[in-house]
Amino acid sequence: MSIRFVLPTFLALFAACSGTRDARVNPDAPDTVTGTGLQSQDIRTMAQQMAADIKASGVLAPGKEGERVSFYIYEIKNDSSDVIDKEIILTKLRTELAKAMGRQVKILDRSPSANDLTDAERRMKERGQVSGTNDRKIAGSDFVLKGTMKSRDRQAGKLKSSYVLVTFELTDLVTQELAWTNDYDMKTESEKSVINR
Amino acid sequence: MRRRCVPFAGLLAAACAVGQPAIPLATFVAGDVAAVRAFAAQQVAEGDEENRALVLNVQAQCDLLLGNTDEARRAFESAGQIMGSWAASGGEVTSALIGSESSKTYKGDPYEKAMNAFYLCYCFLLKGEPDNARAACKRGILMDAEVEDEKFQADNALLFWLAGRMSKLMGSPDDVDFYKEAATANAFAIEHGARGDAQNRVLADPAAGNLVLLFECGLGPEKYADGIQDELARFRPRPHPAVRARVSIDGRDLGPSGVSAILVDVDYQARTLGGTAMEGIRKGKAIFKTASTAAGVVLLSQAAKDRGDSARTQAIAGGALLLAGLLTSSSADIRHWPTLPSTVQALTANVPPGEHVIDVDFLDASGRPIPSLRQRAQTLVPQKGESWHLFRSLPRVAPVTPAPGSP
Repeated sequence: MSIRFVLPTFLALFAACSGTRDARVNPDAPDTVTGTGLQSQDIRTMAQQMAADIKASGVLAPGKEGERVSFYIYEIKNDSSDVIDKEIILTKLRTELAKAMGRQVKILDRSPSANDLTDAERRMKERGQVSGTNDRKIAGSDFVLKGTMKSRDRQAGKLKSSYVLVTFELTDLVTQELAWTNDYDMKTESEKSVINR
Repeated sequence: MRRRCVPFAGLLAAACAVGQPAIPLATFVAGDVAAVRAFAAQQVAEGDEENRALVLNVQAQCDLLLGNTDEARRAFESAGQIMGSWAASGGEVTSALIGSESSKTYKGDPYEKAMNAFYLCYCFLLKGEPDNARAACKRGILMDAEVEDEKFQADNALLFWLAGRMSKLMGSPDDVDFYKEAATANAFAIEHGARGDAQNRVLADPAAGNLVLLFECGLGPEKYADGIQDELARFRPRPHPAVRARVSIDGRDLGPSGVSAILVDVDYQARTLGGTAMEGIRKGKAIFKTASTAAGVVLLSQAAKDRGDSARTQAIAGGALLLAGLLTSSSADIRHWPTLPSTVQALTANVPPGEHVIDVDFLDASGRPIPSLRQRAQTLVPQKGESWHLFRSLPRVAPVTPAPGSP
């Protein structure tokens, strides 16, 4: 029973029972924690692509006299078989749009919390409790941006695949015309290990 | 050299076996959910990483009972991500194959994955996101289909029915398809020995009711090891008196329609998993363990009688075989989610919008109410939409959080 045999065995033993790690990783890198569904890489890429494409389409460009177009982001409807954090997707998209278009557009916050805060502030101004006046109307919106997420899942034996399609669309709130649309898709495949049922 | 490797390989593989966390089930049954929650949270923070999904599920269940719905949703989601991943590292596979099966990450059996999906659905409903709730159901239906026996792959009526109800809340027309699947799943399960009713009142009119009540009755099955070398994973029911729920609203007895209907029999779901590849591997390991231990004993005994080189060779070979046999772990992985209910049941009612008082009696097998499990909840049924509640057959410990009505 030589040291040449015992030492590597015990090293392997300790390696097998080794601790965990915490490390910063590139959010654009593929997730090491796998599974189906959107990963951080997808959320970032999708938001960047959509923002760039909306800008390139010119649909939100200022009018001839420089008047800014307004829009708000409504929701993403999940028709897929993966639960999603809607806020993380929509907030990232809004941020990318703000970065891409800057003050060329008016991005409206129509969230319930924004409505509550606006109402409260306007009431306090009316009562003279705080400085300032309600000399402007709450901005109306020219467009609404919304999305849907769908998936097609297939499972047979030890294999499964999941195709995810996220579609965004910008609708004219006067004419209901679909002013812009684009999508992002991804697919994952998984093979079941013999140790997992 | 090869002979020397055997015991060390066994030692290496057996070293990281992970046992079932000692969830204080008696405390849970007694209704001290906060204590169980504290135990589970401590296990999540400091326990075996391989058991993370299991203890997260227990923690989330307790959070749901205690009204901490956001925490419950997050924990169920985290557990679901682990349970839903099919990935396994090479080292994990090797350890589970050569050594103890329970060295692998707990991902649950299909019935446990389906129950995680059920709870996640309910949590997203509480958050006012029926689309995410339906996504959870769809994922659960897929996970339920992971059972090896194909004929039992789509027999969870609860998930189909919930998916239909979520579609209805979303205004999506595919609710009817889900209801049909739910009825088929229920009929199949009843036909194959599940508890429930072929004439299920809830599934007979699946979209009915603006007040929807869900009940978790009894305790889910216990997974135990059987066979000469504990190589067989088996399930047995856990005793608990509550088998049904009876409801009165605003003090008014609803008669026969006030008794809940079973939508999923968790014990049946566990029983009908079918065999797995690992079961065959464990049986092979059990045979090896038995044979090598016996051969080792015979050779050592023979070595004691002989002398010289022959005796030494027999002693070395016998010792190696005995050690290999002793170190080979053929035990089945019996980790399971112990705080699941035995059945999940439902009752729907049409009530006028406004405030109502719901009284729930859990009934024993002879139909008598169990006084210690009596519960009362208040609800506000909206003008448009629905009010949902979930009750567990435990002594009342916390207010039941109603799900918000649909927009």
